[in-house]
Amino acid sequence: MEALILKDDLMAPEVVADPHTYYRKLRESERVHWNERWKGWVLTGYKEVVDVLRDPDHFSSDRMGYLENELTPQEREEIAPIFKVLKYWMVFRDPPSHTVLRMLLNKLFTPTAVERYRPMVRKIVQKALDKVVDRGKMEVVHDLAYDIPMSVVLELIGAPDLDREKIKEWSEAIGVFFFIKADEPRRREIACEGITSLVNYIEPLIVHRREHPGTDMISLLIAAEEAGQITYNDVLGTCVLLIFGGHETTMNLIANGTLALMQDSDQWTLLHKKPELIKKAVEELLRFDGSVKSTVRWAKEDVMVGDKLIKKGERLLVSLSGANRDPLQFTAPDKLDITRDPNLHVAFAHGIHVCLGASLARMEAEEAFAGMIKRISCPRLPEDAYLNYYPSVVHRALKNLPVTFHKL
Amino acid sequence: MGIKVTVNHNRCVGSRLCVGFLPDAFKLNGQGQSELITTGGVNAEEFVQTAGQCPQSAIKVEDAETGEVLFPPAELEM
Ligand code: HEM
Ligand code: SF4
Repeated sequence: MEALILKDDLMAPEVVADPHTYYRKLRESERVHWNERWKGWVLTGYKEVVDVLRDPDHFSSDRMGYLENELTPQEREEIAPIFKVLKYWMVFRDPPSHTVLRMLLNKLFTPTAVERYRPMVRKIVQKALDKVVDRGKMEVVHDLAYDIPMSVVLELIGAPDLDREKIKEWSEAIGVFFFIKADEPRRREIACEGITSLVNYIEPLIVHRREHPGTDMISLLIAAEEAGQITYNDVLGTCVLLIFGGHETTMNLIANGTLALMQDSDQWTLLHKKPELIKKAVEELLRFDGSVKSTVRWAKEDVMVGDKLIKKGERLLVSLSGANRDPLQFTAPDKLDITRDPNLHVAFAHGIHVCLGASLARMEAEEAFAGMIKRISCPRLPEDAYLNYYPSVVHRALKNLPVTFHKL
Repeated sequence: MGIKVTVNHNRCVGSRLCVGFLPDAFKLNGQGQSELITTGGVNAEEFVQTAGQCPQSAIKVEDAETGEVLFPPAELEM
């Protein structure tokens, strides 16, 4: 493992399979570490991670701006379709333009606002479980987790009838651009095709909403555009961001959380006996094995992080999973404890970019786990199963999770 | 009606949303978390609205005399 740290290979198969051990070793040896291979700083301590995330004055999220500077004019030309959309994603913007979009959209995503989707989610969970309980087995990702967030996100933007298979395919193509192996030779091409298809698919919807406004998110964005608060590019970019960001992360949380509860069946049993622990349990599952492992920031000027001087323009890989297992913040961090309280984890990040969809994701996960706990016994992995994660520094994503159980 | 407003620092993630919506009532402390400046000049309804925007339900609004909790409702308690 020491050798691995020295190699600085965040994509090594051992690290993808078990990031927590890698980040623990790294945290124990150097909380703010220069990764020579990635040419940036890797932060694995809670305090350092939180300090950076809560300080947008010193740390920029302008991923597209920094990337643009690194590219040759020809490379820039090649990925122009991606830039044209991703430049307007709020997650990659700094104040003040971030603030306008965030304050506008936030009201659709508050803990209270997302409650209106709960009955719908409950129905989806019940329907999915109806299909599998008698069989005594399921594949958690596709039989249960996949449908929930996709349905909610489409309902939220006011377009429940969009073609899910197509959206999934294009989202995966866009994901190739930043999440998956940088050594995929056609990654930029693939991502451009994905984004262009998604944009062509969504634009008619915006045109339609402009003529027939409703109470959905697109109508809200259009109204703000017409009032001069935001631009058309913000409207389009935001639609793409929500469709892209709103489903995979939540799907992965449901799979990771199921696995975590299976592997510590006392915790499953406890939740079964005390279903009122569901909200705390979801927080703990987010902390224990959340679906977003890291995010990136750029230093806007020379600044100290922990005991290291970060130079202007250098980038930082902010390890959310690393911070979430820091023993200085959490007692017995490697133990799943669904009664943990307080539990100020960073699974949704902290600071101004804290996940817009956090309340939605929490509600969806609550319904998925509450549904399972009630109707099936603690699942087990079939003997021939082995766990396979997508090779990504950002996402903690199981390819699939086959389980067996019996009906309660 | 007199009101009491508290920010729970075991929950606040420093989103700055409350500061954005009510800059006269909230500010950030040295840890990047929200702190109440004053309840003066802002009515209870505005506080309840802003508390509702908090992604963490970290802001509690109470009637100062009766102790009645105006926000968050019990079902949002974690
Ligand atoms: C378990 C599920 C999820 C996890 C773990 C997650 C994680 C995150 C994280 C870590 C960030 C911050 C990124 C950064 O600071 O660089 C973020 C931002 C964001 N997330 Fe999520 N997310 C989840 C679900 C969702 C859902 C369901 C939606 C939408 C329906 C969503 C929409 C967004 C948006 C729009 C932002 C940008 C917010 C901003 O810049 O102000 N996320 N998410
Ligand atoms: S809105 Fe909530 S999380 Fe954000 S700064 Fe205010 S109290 Fe903290």
